[in-house]
Parts: sequence; structure tokens; C-alpha cells
Amino acid sequence: MRTNYRVNSGVRFRMLTDDQLQELFDGVLHVLENTGLEVHHEESRQILQEAGAWVDGTRVRVPSWLVKESLRKAPRSFTVYARDGNREHNIHIGPGRAHFGPGPTCPNFIDVETLERRPYIKDDVSIVATVVDALPNIDFCESLGSVDDVHADLSALYEFAHMFPNTSKPIVAWSFDKYDSEGIHQIALAEAGGQEAFEQRPNYIHYCEPLSPLISTFEALDKLVFAARKRVPLVFTPCAIAGGTAPITAAGIITQGVAESWMGLTIAQAIQPGLPFIMGGVLSVMDMNAMVFSYGAPELSLMMAGVTELAHFAGLPLWQTGGCTDSKTFDEQAMIEGSMSVYFSALTGGDLCHDVGYTESAMTGSVFQLAAMDEAIGYARRITRGIDVNEDTLATEAIHNVGPNGHYLREPHTRRHYKTEFWYPNLCDRRNFDEWDTMGRKTMKDRTIERVRDILASHEPAPLKEGTETLIQSVLEEAEDRVQQDWWQEREIAD
Amino acid sequence: MSTIYEKLATAVLEGNSDKVPDLIQKGMDEGKTAKELLDNGLVVGMDEVGARFKRGDMFVPEVLMSAESMKAGMGVLRPLLAEAEEEMLGTIVLGTVEGDLHDIGKNLVGMMCEGAGFEVVNLGFDQPPQAFIDAIKQHQPDIVGMSALLTTTMRAMGHTIKAIEEAGLRDQVKIMVGGAPVDKEFADRIGADGYGSNAPAASDLAKEFVSAA
Repeated sequence: MRTNYRVNSGVRFRMLTDDQLQELFDGVLHVLENTGLEVHHEESRQILQEAGAWVDGTRVRVPSWLVKESLRKAPRSFTVYARDGNREHNIHIGPGRAHFGPGPTCPNFIDVETLERRPYIKDDVSIVATVVDALPNIDFCESLGSVDDVHADLSALYEFAHMFPNTSKPIVAWSFDKYDSEGIHQIALAEAGGQEAFEQRPNYIHYCEPLSPLISTFEALDKLVFAARKRVPLVFTPCAIAGGTAPITAAGIITQGVAESWMGLTIAQAIQPGLPFIMGGVLSVMDMNAMVFSYGAPELSLMMAGVTELAHFAGLPLWQTGGCTDSKTFDEQAMIEGSMSVYFSALTGGDLCHDVGYTESAMTGSVFQLAAMDEAIGYARRITRGIDVNEDTLATEAIHNVGPNGHYLREPHTRRHYKTEFWYPNLCDRRNFDEWDTMGRKTMKDRTIERVRDILASHEPAPLKEGTETLIQSVLEEAEDRVQQDWWQEREIAD
Repeated sequence: MSTIYEKLATAVLEGNSDKVPDLIQKGMDEGKTAKELLDNGLVVGMDEVGARFKRGDMFVPEVLMSAESMKAGMGVLRPLLAEAEEEMLGTIVLGTVEGDLHDIGKNLVGMMCEGAGFEVVNLGFDQPPQAFIDAIKQHQPDIVGMSALLTTTMRAMGHTIKAIEEAGLRDQVKIMVGGAPVDKEFADRIGADGYGSNAPAASDLAKEFVSAA
């Protein structure tokens, strides 16, 4: 029997020390307490004031004790469930578990047939969801685009309505406003079997995005309040741009971004103590030459690693970012940037890593980038799984049995381990030259396109329950009616 | 209810060495001949193994288990086939050439060829040209297969072919070569008749040789 024996069950990665994390943590509390944020949502300001925050007009400052109390209420570990009960598709969020999925809202899409860049349309949603459902290393779904061929105010609702039937992996639902969120929630409840059943087994995550620097917008908070009341697990993530909407230094952007996210945390935990809350944000640099928010910069991975460590230090899961690129096409740059950020993200154990499949700095979604990154994630996961050291894996018995000049191919030890000890690629080619030649000299790009088209031709996601499809249609019809009415067209966003 | 042939093929595919001899006995009890059980059962299973391996759906340890179950079946069938004066698909002499101690790949080729229905004479590793010549004289094979893993020893395959020519035996046999550094171009250059890039490919090549003859 072993005693006091310490094990690393995966590759260890730690960038910042406890002292550095404490300093970042204190920096965030300092910003929330001394500078505060603009909170453009009256109900939220009231909730904050009642909880103990200082409200001065629209400016809200939050005392450190209140932030710490909110952190204490929020869980580090929880489960988001597959809508069809498929345990393989559940997501268990907790220490040492990294999950991956696409991002939302690119205006363009790489057409699956023509391979040309064009506006994102409704039919693309089911393509992305089906591919997500089939890829083994993609764990949650977003749509990679904003639907262009429906009423502009309804693109988020149509997006969810078309993702939901085509994957049973949990969806992270982006939306414009509370009305979208209500429609989305109705659809999710129909499948879950009502509000109470949903609270026990939530089947989607709600996504809200505040504005940098230091603004909690009306829409972000209106959605947050709705989701918190309905107990929907919540992502609250700013997209801060170093040198533009946030300090240029990594420590500075982390401090500001986390302050923005924790304003949402404080409101959410005041409304619904214990609400699963996934903090952000998405942090990267503004390239001072190209003037884009870079999705392929090394600083993105670095900043995301820092904010992940701070999240875990504070006891929250994090909305990670990776598998994305600034490249306009499926090329070497796309593979380098995507793979490096995927690997780095996996090392940090950042809980939900999104934006897998973004190209052109988030202007174009690509299901091919997504499928290639599925391979990179599998690769990264094998490395982060590490090396098992125990009596069996030491293999001294097998070594003895085989002896000098034997071979291990027929050893029981080999047969027991060959499927789990090695990672087998789906897309990377390891054949010899002649075989590769015979198979038509296909490149990684050729194989990726083939794989995506094979999935689309053959994969069948689990069907919805009876009645859910009808409900989806009626939710969409109601929404279409709403946006035609006078009050909708004349409405003003409140403050 | 699946037929005895299907059961045999499945047992080979699953690499179930214990089950194969029992199934053969059961087939004999049902009145099937040894040749029928071989052609419609074992060989069908082994062909599927080769196809799956090529597609990347099977792994080498699994192929080995299938080959071993095939061998177990052949152990029972061989005397019965001889008794019925059924001819084997052909005879193959296999060896790793002089100076090279690596023979995992060559042994895999041997097992796959046995699985395909050949009689295989495995000479082992580090075999000088004379050993190949003696084996050709003794066993009268249809095919000679040789392998090398190292770029330093692959040249010995050329020397061996030359020695077989000089012994006047070249016309009697088809020669196939293989091994990690070997390719089609090298095989052509040293005067071999064919090259197999992996064990199932070598077994397919051997079948091509005998069906063309």
C-alpha cells in the first residue's frame, strides 16, 4: 500500500503565483469599490443598492465584502445536461475539466459547398449544430454566426430554434434582449419538462455581454435578470480590447475585464443565490497596425490563461477562448493560431473554451476550422491527460516476458492498453508515401472538407420530444407578430 | 440465425482463437467440407480484417489476434485439406535479409498470408542469400518475400535477388519486398516483382501473384 504518494494525473500548468493572483484579485475589488461601473438598468441598480452597493445616479460602486459574498454563493462545480439524456453529452464543470465549443455572431460563413465567404444564413445554423453534435471533442454549441435572412431583431431566436433540434449537446444561447431570452427559455422548458425539471437539469446556458470599459448595458442586464430569476446558468463576459477599450497591459485588462464580469456576478447572486455563473471575459489585443481585435495573437492565450487562473483562484469557472484565427482562409496561419490557443487553453483547464471555428478575426465562421480544431483539441487532450504511473503501466512484467529481441505486439499488456494509451488521429495523416499517393495525395484541408461533408450526409442528431417542434414554430410565429407591432418599432431602450 | 460460415468469419474478425476450432468441428458435423469452411468462413473473415485495417478501423494488435485465430483454424483444417488433396493457395518463403534483426513486420506479413490461405515458410531474420536459395530448392514456393527495416540493410535485398538469379531460380518464383524504408521505386530498381506497404497489402499482392499465374 502506498502512503503519502502524490500524483499528477495530467500535465500541470501554472503561470501566476498565489501572491500575483491575490494582487490581481485585490485590484479587481479596488476597481469595483473605488471606480465602480455605469449600470444602465434601473431594476439592477435597486437590487444592487438593497444588497449593499453604493448607487450614485447610474454609477454603482460595490464594496469588497459584497463581491466576496457573491463569490462565496456561486458554485465552482455544476452540470449542464444534454436535452436527450445522453450522458456523453453532459458537461460537468469543475476543476481540471476543459470543454470546447464554437462562438456566436460572425456576420459571414464559409459556404460548405462552394467554400466561398458569404453572409451567414438560417440554413447554416443546422449545419453548424449537426457538425458540433458529431465531433467528438466539441462539447457545447454556438452557431458561429448571426442569421442574416430573417427579421434583424429575431436572428438570435431563429438561431436557437435551429440549433436546438440539431444537437443534444448543451447550447450556450446568445440573444439580443429579454424577449429572445424568454422565447429561448420556453423552447428549453418544453424539452426539459417544465421549470422545476429545468432547474434540476438545466439544458442550456445563457450568454450576456457587458461593454468595456466599465459599462453594464441595459440589454445585458435585462437578460441577466431574466436568466437569474429562471435559474439559467449564466455566462457574463466582456470582450475587452487591450490598448483600445481596456489597459494595454495583460494585468490591467484582466483587472478591468473581471471587474466588469463581477458586477454581473453580484447582481445575479443577489437575485438567485447559488446560480451557476461562468465569468469572462474575452481578452485580446488591438493590433496597432491592422486595427483589429486579434483572435490569433499570443497575448490572447496569455491573457486568457491569466484570467483563468484568477477565476479558479476566486472559485469560479471561466469562459475561455481558443481555436480561432485572424486568417481569412483554411491555411497554415489558421492552423498555427488555432492549435496553439487550443493547446494553451487546454493546459489552463479553462472551463468552457469558445470561439473554436472563428476565422478572419471573428468576422467569418468556418465549420472547417471547427472540424480541424476538433483534431487539435483531441491532440491537446491526449497531452494534458498526462502519464499514468503505476504497477501496471510500468510494465516490468511485460518487459520480462518479452525479453531481448522480442516484440510487444501480441503481449496482453499491449492489447489491454493500445486503445487508451495512444491517441489516434481522425484528420492527421500518418500513412506512408505510397499509400498517401494512392489515396489521392489529400491535404489536411481536403480531408477536413471531406469529414465535414460526410458528417452532414450521414449524422443524425437525437430527435426532439414530441411537441417541442410545434412549440418552436409557435414561439417563432409569436415573435414575428411582435416585431410587426407599433410598440415594438417605436420602443426605446430604457436606462 | 447466422450460418456456420458467418459464425466462423465473425470469430476470426473478433480474434477468438478458442472458438474457431469448435466452430470448425460443428461445421464438419453439419456435413461441410474443410475446403468450404476455409473458403466461405475463415478466409471471408480474414478478408474483412484486411479491409478494416486498410480503412483504419482495425489496429495491429487486433489484426494479430485475428491472424492467430485463423492459425488455430488452419491447425485443424490443414490435415483434413491434405487428406482431401485440396491444394493450398500457394507457398511463400519469407525472410528478413542478411544483417537485419528486425522481423515484426515480416512476421505480420506471414500471419496475414497464412490467413489468406497460403502455406508460409518463415526463415526468420538475418538470412543470407544462400538461405533463400536453399529454401526455394527445398520448398518449391510460388513466392519469395523479403524484408529489411534499415536503409543500411535494404541493399541486401538486391544482393539476395541477384544471388537467386545466379542460382538460376529467378523464373520459378515471384519476389515481393517490404519494410519501412522500402518503396515501389526501390522494389523496381532491385528487380523485385512487387512491393507491399503493409501486411494486408503484401497479402493482397501475394494473392494477385498466384491468381495471375
